[in-house]
Amino acid sequence: MKKLKRIFTYLFLSTAALVSIFPFLWMLVSMTNKSVDVTGGRLIPGLHLMENLNNLLESTRIGTALWNSFVIAIITTVLTLLIGSLAGYGFEIYRTKGKDMIFNILILSMMIPFAAIMIPLYRLFGRISADAPLIGLDTLAAAFLPTIITAFFIFFFRQNTKMFAKELVEAGRIDGLSELGIFFRIYVPTMKTTYAAAAIIAFMNSWNNYLWPLVVLQSPENQTIPLLISNLGAGYTPDYGVIMTAIVIATLPTALVFFLMQRYFVAGMMGSVKG
Amino acid sequence: MKKTLSKKLWLLMLALFTALVLTACSGDDEGSDNAEGNDDAEGSEASEGEGAELTAWAWDVNFNIAALNLALEHYDNEEFNLEIIENAQDDIVQRLNTGLSSGTMKGMPNIVLIEDQRAQSFLQSYPDAFYAIGDYFNTEDFADYKIAPTSLDGAQYGLPFDTGVTGLFYRTDYLEEAGYSHEDLVDITWTEYIEIATDVKEKTGKAMLSLDPNDLGILRVMMQTTGAWYTTEDGSIQLEDNEALKMALENYKALLNNDLANLHSDWSQFLASFNSGDTASVPVGNWIAPSVEAEESQSGLWRVAPTPRLDMEGAANASNQGGSSFYVLNIDGKEAAAEFLGETFGSNVEFYQDLVTEVGAIGTYKPASEGDAYQFENEFFNGQQVVYDFSQWMEDIPQVDYGMNTYGIEDILSAEIQQYLDGKDLDEMLTDAQAQAENQFK
Repeated sequence: MKKLKRIFTYLFLSTAALVSIFPFLWMLVSMTNKSVDVTGGRLIPGLHLMENLNNLLESTRIGTALWNSFVIAIITTVLTLLIGSLAGYGFEIYRTKGKDMIFNILILSMMIPFAAIMIPLYRLFGRISADAPLIGLDTLAAAFLPTIITAFFIFFFRQNTKMFAKELVEAGRIDGLSELGIFFRIYVPTMKTTYAAAAIIAFMNSWNNYLWPLVVLQSPENQTIPLLISNLGAGYTPDYGVIMTAIVIATLPTALVFFLMQRYFVAGMMGSVKG
Repeated sequence: MKKTLSKKLWLLMLALFTALVLTACSGDDEGSDNAEGNDDAEGSEASEGEGAELTAWAWDVNFNIAALNLALEHYDNEEFNLEIIENAQDDIVQRLNTGLSSGTMKGMPNIVLIEDQRAQSFLQSYPDAFYAIGDYFNTEDFADYKIAPTSLDGAQYGLPFDTGVTGLFYRTDYLEEAGYSHEDLVDITWTEYIEIATDVKEKTGKAMLSLDPNDLGILRVMMQTTGAWYTTEDGSIQLEDNEALKMALENYKALLNNDLANLHSDWSQFLASFNSGDTASVPVGNWIAPSVEAEESQSGLWRVAPTPRLDMEGAANASNQGGSSFYVLNIDGKEAAAEFLGETFGSNVEFYQDLVTEVGAIGTYKPASEGDAYQFENEFFNGQQVVYDFSQWMEDIPQVDYGMNTYGIEDILSAEIQQYLDGKDLDEMLTDAQAQAENQFK
């Protein structure tokens, strides 16, 4: 009886695993096939990987797009973490009147969909373009600036800071550390796992961000990876082999970041403070 | 005590700084506000100066972008620089909507390609954003049906580009087996098409065509043969009591319920339906020709007949599916951009010959059809002068005002149609769809 139960458990889990892994496998297989074979549903790896890769390199500026996506994602991640954690720390550690009300308003702002603020935001960037060309429309800065301060990360850090031993702050003060010193020398090292989890989320969000970069980054030199992939699929006769190759290349960095930080990620999500 | 003081000082400084930033920002805003209504100037700053580079947005490297590049080759003006930027069609729609509705013209292109069925929504929503280019070419040189969607209130905004003129691509061998010759397929009605389809199914076992239940393109093709649409010319929705639509729907139901059509759910399945030899005909836009020809083993087995018409007074054996046109934005460089379009797409017969042979695109410029390239006898289609035939049918396409909400209305309709196929009364179904559409778009 117990054995039977176990068989069923394994059967169920295997099916579930297959269903979730299959699209990924198919993507890898399709990368090596011609477009006709991809649409025909061929599941066996083919010999066209180099051909697809060459076509991709010839027809697109994938190098530039990768670089742009990296620059945007890394700057976004660093700034998001810095600002989000400072704010989250402040909200939890310091006592101020009206703190909770402000926090609630922040949380409320999470309810507003991005599409609703996109046009005013675009207008704003359009307006500053003439005076501040470095952060105006069609610059990488315009692509990441609106995304670095998010209520989500402030909330995320505040929740995690609840687990942070406040005695450490007091100990730091007694030992004569400045408030910023306490933050950087005590808080940051202690919260490593939280930072790692936040870093993965921020990096992935930025890497996959589509709508905002689409509207602000107009020239091909500023194209990011999701925009490039969108273009590939837009022709009247799309080459699915090339598209799959581009998607695999686009997936690698996020996969890499995740696997490198996976250990911390799980711990961070559970809110552990053991550094 | 000291500590709280310094804290207060910090707070004060922070408040001061915030206030400063805010005033600086609002000052900036005011400055720009003065320039409002003249936002064009903002966009132009980037492209000011002699021989400045203009930009164009279009989709599909092998088709529209290739056509633009070809036009550049044919344009004899050394001071003219055009950067052609590839954008997916949906991306162009998104970018234009964001840019134009925010009133920020910076970063907008000089020339943009817009699909005909979407054009009115842009022209009507952003009346000042586009530059009327009617003076740069002769509208009478273009297929009539292209003019309504590309103009607004008598002003011509778009330069008509490719045609989506439809044809009835069919397998000669299957039709012969069922007892039909080419003449039997010329200038027929959709009712006759269904009769033929029944014979074909009986005698060859093949389906006459393949349909995607989620794409009502075939209904639009049928409707346009009578010059009717989901909306009237004044823009009001007409699903109820729309005779053409009703007749189209009856034909559609007859095709599906009598098992005369195969079903497909995506593009690759659609291509496979005729490449594999499972269907006997493909009644769609001329742009499908390269995909039909892709299956080389079927060379000589295909021909193209005119599109069947709806069985109504005044219906023509010509219709349209797809097609787009070029628009010039109302920003600096507009004259240069319009001149470029006018002298290439707007008047160059030779350019159109190369367009057919090198890109495979059929334009809507009528004088082009007399050129050599149009007379080409295509082996694949039994030596038929396919391009020439298409260009002739193109001139007969009834003109239709596509209105603002074609795709929106179609979303409502495709849900309702399922109930009709399941037995709901046709009039009742259309009344319901009409009510829904009016709620949503008024």
